[in-house]
Amino acid sequence: MYGRVSGVTIVGVRGHPVVVEAHIGRGLPSVSFTGLPGAAVHDARDRIRPAVESSGLEWPLRRIVVNLSPGNLRKDGPGLDLPVTMGVLAASAQVPVERLGRYAFFGELALEGSLIPTPGVLSASIAAASAGLAGIVVPEANAGEAALVEDLHVVGAPALADVVAFLRGRWEPGTAERRPSPAPAHQVDFAEVRGQAQARRALEVAAAGGHNVLLMGSPGAGKTMLARRLATVLPTLSRSEALEVTQLHSVAGILPGGGLVAARPFRAPHHSISLPAMLGGGSGFVRPGEVSMAHHGVLFLDELNEFRRDALEALRQPLEDGHVVVTRVAGTVEFPARFTLVAAANPCPCGYEGDPRRQCSCITHRVEVYRQKLSGPLLDRIDIRLSVPRLSRRELLEEEPGEASEAIRRRVEEAREVQRHRYAELGYPCNAQLPGPLARRLARVSDPARDLLARAVDTLALTGRGFDRAIKVARTVADLAGAAEVGSDHVAEALSYRMDVAGGGLARAG
Amino acid sequence: MPAERTGWPVGFGRDPAERRAVLVLSALRGQRPADLLALAREEGTAVACLAAIREGRAGSELDVRFSRSLDAARIDGELRSCGARLVVWGSREYPPQLEHLRDPPGWLFVRGASPPIQSGTIAVVGARNCSDLGRELARSFGRELAAAGAVIVSGAARGIDAAAHEGALDVGGRTVAVLGCGIDLAYPPGSRGLLRRIEQEGTIVSEYPPGVPAEPQRFPARNRIIAGLCAALVVVEGRERSGSLISARHALEHGRDVYAVPGAVSNPLSAAPHALIRDGAGLIRHVEDLLSDLELARVLGPAPPPVLTLVEQAALDAMTGPVLPETVARALGVTVAEVVPLLMQLELKGLVRSSGGRFEPRLPLGA
Repeated sequence: MYGRVSGVTIVGVRGHPVVVEAHIGRGLPSVSFTGLPGAAVHDARDRIRPAVESSGLEWPLRRIVVNLSPGNLRKDGPGLDLPVTMGVLAASAQVPVERLGRYAFFGELALEGSLIPTPGVLSASIAAASAGLAGIVVPEANAGEAALVEDLHVVGAPALADVVAFLRGRWEPGTAERRPSPAPAHQVDFAEVRGQAQARRALEVAAAGGHNVLLMGSPGAGKTMLARRLATVLPTLSRSEALEVTQLHSVAGILPGGGLVAARPFRAPHHSISLPAMLGGGSGFVRPGEVSMAHHGVLFLDELNEFRRDALEALRQPLEDGHVVVTRVAGTVEFPARFTLVAAANPCPCGYEGDPRRQCSCITHRVEVYRQKLSGPLLDRIDIRLSVPRLSRRELLEEEPGEASEAIRRRVEEAREVQRHRYAELGYPCNAQLPGPLARRLARVSDPARDLLARAVDTLALTGRGFDRAIKVARTVADLAGAAEVGSDHVAEALSYRMDVAGGGLARAG
Repeated sequence: MPAERTGWPVGFGRDPAERRAVLVLSALRGQRPADLLALAREEGTAVACLAAIREGRAGSELDVRFSRSLDAARIDGELRSCGARLVVWGSREYPPQLEHLRDPPGWLFVRGASPPIQSGTIAVVGARNCSDLGRELARSFGRELAAAGAVIVSGAARGIDAAAHEGALDVGGRTVAVLGCGIDLAYPPGSRGLLRRIEQEGTIVSEYPPGVPAEPQRFPARNRIIAGLCAALVVVEGRERSGSLISARHALEHGRDVYAVPGAVSNPLSAAPHALIRDGAGLIRHVEDLLSDLELARVLGPAPPPVLTLVEQAALDAMTGPVLPETVARALGVTVAEVVPLLMQLELKGLVRSSGGRFEPRLPLGA
């Protein structure tokens, strides 16, 4: 009376193969688990019996022991419902073992026996394939996601009864279609933006060099609208990037349909967000946070000043390393989190400082306190800082709708290609990630541009870090222009993006 | 004697014992200058004043207790460590133009050069929270007046005050900062660098010994010294009920000339200058007005026209106020990506200012 089935548990973003053993022995009817089961697995005890009974199968009324191995790994998540059930059915000899051993099982059961969409199917499928299994049985709704893994037979089953029928050789699933990755379908486009040419240009530069951006402007200037469109001009996701994003979104349970995520993600958490929600966490089953859901995409923090200090401080690790480490009692989990940060803030507490048509009502001291909150280590990692003016109706009507995202993205991709080529041996993907000293050495700044930078150090009171940022951004501007050397125009443009937050506009000295 | 009625008693603070007594008196917080002056006229000497307060015959209860705990030697040490000195009434360094104030300070703490004489001393004051234009004006006034040989007096506050001091320093001229806090402190903290330069190249003056914090009630008293030191006072910007009005009132009371720079009637920062102009203050349109009224010769020639390329000139011509970069780009027939570096170059040359994503031409220096 023994059954053995392959399942998968998700730790962080990765699937780990789990062997589920079930033994049915003498004794009063009961189910007990061994092998570090998590809360969701304990839940399964009560859930799977009704599911089995409503699928026309028999629940053995004896003493059932389910062991999950390896024993040193904490297993959690609803995806283990199906393998545990299959283990019990195998132990009670209700399913033949021929096919059973060649498939992994993953999915959550409803009480009436249907398989419901489960987070983490892509990760589970990758784990099944690398464990050398021939196929995986998953909920039908997730079949498209599982089919992204090559050389894996995917059985998308609507319900437990179908899984049993499949194992008995009485039902074959339709081949889950491996959808060709669709063209990124963004809902927004830069073509819809009227005016804001400077901000549009700045975002193009940001996309081309992978720079983080701070947008300062009055309420209604269009900061959110602009930030949302940055994702549409970033280079198209490569297949491996898309798989990473899909995997993360699958684990987070935010994957819309099955299939590959083709568009760069755009995440805009509210400023009341907690630290675990930002970085990832939760008791037991650790979910990825907003920084990971924004992986390979854009993380937009509107009203930067309103965010909790600890949530902002915590962004330093992902901004620097491209991943977050979440530490729990049960162990540490690492999630990838490489995103472009777009932060937005009002120029002052009332929001109208510098607006020609509305008087700012803040006292100087409060503006200073407000700006000080903006400064600090986070700001050091933001290369491009820009004022976004609120346009008058007349100014809006004068402006033509802008260039389409598609055209901008082509230029961005070319510039990125140049950078990839230049840093191929160093392993940096783009200018923004280059350390300062290296950027200074590799930027190839022309003599007139060097003079201009030297002048800026005096006139604009450029700091050492500001100097490095200006060089990196200037390098990106030159890459966009297809120039081998950084010229003075490139430096001048880069300098216009280093608005000094603590001091208001650009240098007031002069 | 009439001189006795308008000032401090002769010999007040002059000998070493008197000097020690003045140091202690200067540190008392509960005394208005006028109260202490009245006491000094009764008692005759600083030592007697201090004795009266220590014995509880004068001053607030707090002062009585506080005065007993104060030690002149310690205050003297603090003075020395911040490089300041005590200048008492009637001494050689005491600025004579202050002697005729209604309530002249009995002493001043001074860092740097000696306080200036009245002739050729001009105060430039205004709002802390001023506009960019106001700041530029104050700076160019400071520059032009100092170049013509005037001494610029102001309060070292943020905004107009700081700009006026900086203007004077720009041309290597003399400037005097009158503080509303202890002689060793920098208020606002951002003015520390400016004050260091003023100490080296000019004069810092305060009625308060080291350690006295900046508090609102001290600023009107500070303003009376600014008004008292100068021959003429210029108000650049100020809101209704601003401290600049207090300075102007002091200046008028003591027969100093008052000038004000007008602005748009709707601009709250022009409220104080407009009120002064209605009351008869001289209207200043540009620095020439000031120079001719004060009978100062212009020293700085009009700023040499900056060398501009045709495109740069065209860009400047296209700016009719704060405009978006696309407006300039359209006027020049170029793209925004091309116009942004151009505007930045102009900004580095000091010809254009950007604020909130818009650009506007700056006041040409010396205009």
